[in-house]
Amino acid sequence: MKKIILSGLLLAGACDLYAAVAEDSHIFTPYFDMTLTEAAYLPSRGNIFSGGNINTQVGLLAKATKKDSFFGLYNFNYSGPAFQPQDGKQFTDRDMSHGFNLEYRRSLGEKFRLRPGVSYSRSFARTGANEAWQSGLYNMNSRGAQLSADYSFDFDKNGFITATWLMRQIEFPNYTDLLREFQNPSNTAETSGGLQDQSLTQISLRPSWNGFFAGYTYTEQKYKNQRVVDANTGVYGEKKQKDSSVSVDGGFRHKLWVLEFSPMLSYTMRSSNQNFLRYKSALATNFANMADGSNDVTMVKKNYDYNELTFAVPVDLNITGKWAIGGNMSVTRRVYTDRGARDIDNNYTAAKQKNLMSTLTGSIRKRMNDVATMRLFYSLVVASSNNKFEKYMPYNYNGNAFGISYQLSY
Amino acid sequence: MKKITIFLTALLALAWPASAAVDWESKGMQMAGEVVANPAAFLYDFQQDLEGTTPLPPGKTFSVQTGLFPTLIPLTNLNLSGKYRLHGEGRIAPGLPQLDLIGGYNDVYAARMVARNSDSLEDAKLYGYYIGAILSASVSPKIRTFWGYKRSALRAKFQFAPGEELELMNTKIGNIDTGFKDDFLMAGIETPKGVRKFWSIQLNYGVATQTFATKVSWYGPHFELGLNFYPEGVLVFHPVWNFHVDF
Repeated sequence: MKKIILSGLLLAGACDLYAAVAEDSHIFTPYFDMTLTEAAYLPSRGNIFSGGNINTQVGLLAKATKKDSFFGLYNFNYSGPAFQPQDGKQFTDRDMSHGFNLEYRRSLGEKFRLRPGVSYSRSFARTGANEAWQSGLYNMNSRGAQLSADYSFDFDKNGFITATWLMRQIEFPNYTDLLREFQNPSNTAETSGGLQDQSLTQISLRPSWNGFFAGYTYTEQKYKNQRVVDANTGVYGEKKQKDSSVSVDGGFRHKLWVLEFSPMLSYTMRSSNQNFLRYKSALATNFANMADGSNDVTMVKKNYDYNELTFAVPVDLNITGKWAIGGNMSVTRRVYTDRGARDIDNNYTAAKQKNLMSTLTGSIRKRMNDVATMRLFYSLVVASSNNKFEKYMPYNYNGNAFGISYQLSY
Repeated sequence: MKKITIFLTALLALAWPASAAVDWESKGMQMAGEVVANPAAFLYDFQQDLEGTTPLPPGKTFSVQTGLFPTLIPLTNLNLSGKYRLHGEGRIAPGLPQLDLIGGYNDVYAARMVARNSDSLEDAKLYGYYIGAILSASVSPKIRTFWGYKRSALRAKFQFAPGEELELMNTKIGNIDTGFKDDFLMAGIETPKGVRKFWSIQLNYGVATQTFATKVSWYGPHFELGLNFYPEGVLVFHPVWNFHVDF
């Protein structure tokens, strides 16, 4: 789950900072964007539930001189209960974050611009209905800096390339490994704190031209305390965990006659040096044959490596100037490179695990004015996987979602 | 319209293959449990419905407001709110934002009356207030952003006669004596929808309790229609109807 929080956080920060543009006549230019979605979810297994998403960004661009400006941005984000891709979160998990970014912008000639900045964020995660936000196991604090460079190559068609380097120090103050503490009851000191603390480095290159965009992103996460489970012995070794991912994406936003298209495609390759030791029960002790997928204790090397393809094809058909009918098909397909799929008895099979989640959405959109839109939508979700062990997480289900969303952006 | 009808029919057809039954009894029990676990938070959501947290329209000096639904009707929550403009936008200096003071009080007076005439309910009080200020600034002829602070408080007390304690689904709840108090930060944006008609969306965030709500509102010279969202609340949607007069 923490990986999802991280990627959401970084993407939000990376995309939106560029969005605010100064008006020449203003010393101060405010930036406001609020998206609100609320929906009812009816899964094929389990009961109806409601959930929502709120994303609010308020910023202020201050122009000091013709070449120098400062941009401050506050971002509030809430992700409520919703259908989730497999191996992600539970349906009922929620998280909330506050992000602060301060950026200095310096123009170098007409075509170049440098944007160094600092960032701080606090995230809260909640699983139970009445769990306090402050006590979430995956609560996270992040601080760091970034440097972006923009090169404009086509002013008429808004063509530019942005290169970004960013670094974050990330702490999970509440995270602990309860199993490790349980296994060492005589030690009263906190021995399992800080296991998820990490430093994150990311570089990205994002060209954009005439409504088309693309991107290449490399992310590396170095864990400060978490050690790798040795693939031969099944115990923690000296090597520390290190994850990385490479992602490429592209898409465009264009209007053709009465149709508005905004398709997007991305492909991510994630790898980690961490392995996974699967216990069938808390009392399982048979370490004799850890390579056997049906053994009580099984070692899964490179358990967290996967390749993931995501695409979405949203289309809006403008019936009148105000009303539009929308459709969207989105697909997330994840294939694990080494992790086997499990049968209903938690035994690993020879086939590698594959997850597929498809969402088909129909909607009615009303454009309230130049800056505000409202959308009523229905979504059909079909999630399938060759992993049939679903004691803790659903892998194969259908679901319906009905909801309403508002967006107001200036 | 015909196209929309066809579209909705198609959506219903799509919904059929993923049909699933709703266990309303189980859902009701879950919601009741959430109310019992934190009654103050549940009740405070209704107070937020009546709180006037949008800026005064340009040119107006003060206003009075009362929440009609779901506060006065059906909850018999007598309530009165007010706004007073301390500074009009740009009056003292160009670009200086408008500054409004806001505040209000509400009291479910019927609860006190019921307690006086009831043998099983010895005492019942449910009341609250809020006070704050809103800064608003036009960023274009059609857009006004606003920022604010409010302090909100609520008190709820229901004391039952011995042996007459409240029961919910065979569980004795006992007396309720609770309250809610927090400092909220607000941010929103307003855009006109016609002559003296506006549409706004805003976020209210409680710093200590991390309570948050969003309000989507349409308002004219006298009435406000709203849809308030409490994502972590028991009742996520609150349709709202308020009455106000601006001077």
